Amino acid sequence: MPRRPLEIAAVAELLSLAVLLVNLATAHVPQVTSLGGPVHGCAYLFVVILTAWHPAASRRTRLLAAIPGVGGLLATRALRAGRSQ
Amino acid sequence: MTKLLLSLHVLAAIITIGPVTVAASMFPAATRRALAPTGTGRDRAALRLLHRICRVYALLGIAVPVFGLATASSLGVLGDAWLITSMLLTAIAAALLALLILPGQRRVLAGAPLPPARLGMLTGVFNLLWAVVVVLMIVRPGSTTGA
Repeated sequence: MPRRPLEIAAVAELLSLAVLLVNLATAHVPQVTSLGGPVHGCAYLFVVILTAWHPAASRRTRLLAAIPGVGGLLATRALRAGRSQ
Repeated sequence: MTKLLLSLHVLAAIITIGPVTVAASMFPAATRRALAPTGTGRDRAALRLLHRICRVYALLGIAVPVFGLATASSLGVLGDAWLITSMLLTAIAAALLALLILPGQRRVLAGAPLPPARLGMLTGVFNLLWAVVVVLMIVRPGSTTGA
């Protein structure tokens, strides 16, 4: 599995969570919550599954991917570190 | 907002489940062609492509239940019997795809002797399950929200 889709999903996961939290702390626009929630949910599940499918992912990397919000970036970093070794 | 969520849910269903249905249904016949003595490299490449379509669109298909749940919650129908039944059938169909059909295709690609008819049957059950879900979503038995 190429790593690029995982990177995109990881960024989307963090960005969508950031948008949701900023909205929660400031404007409380209900549309942002309704749309941001599913987007974040999809990105999170994409990250978890893409990491699970990755042939080079260790057990630790797969667990890292399940961390909400930053899991995708942590998994991407772990995979990149594993590749450069 | 409900209308936007519902549109995204239906759009995701058409774009992702459609390709999986077609590609997974073509896979058994393509297997027979590729494994036949007359099978060429092109036939094997087609088999790999069909599996890739199934895999990638099955992953993207996650958006369907996620946006479906958001739509249901925004409509306030999360506790309705027709919806719970649909979710259960969807879960069975997803498990079938992820645990039996996709691994089965991978085994065929790896050269394992898996009868194409078995994959064909599993794919048929998967298609039937989600077709039932679509009908449930349209008929909504017991719902008071209108046709």
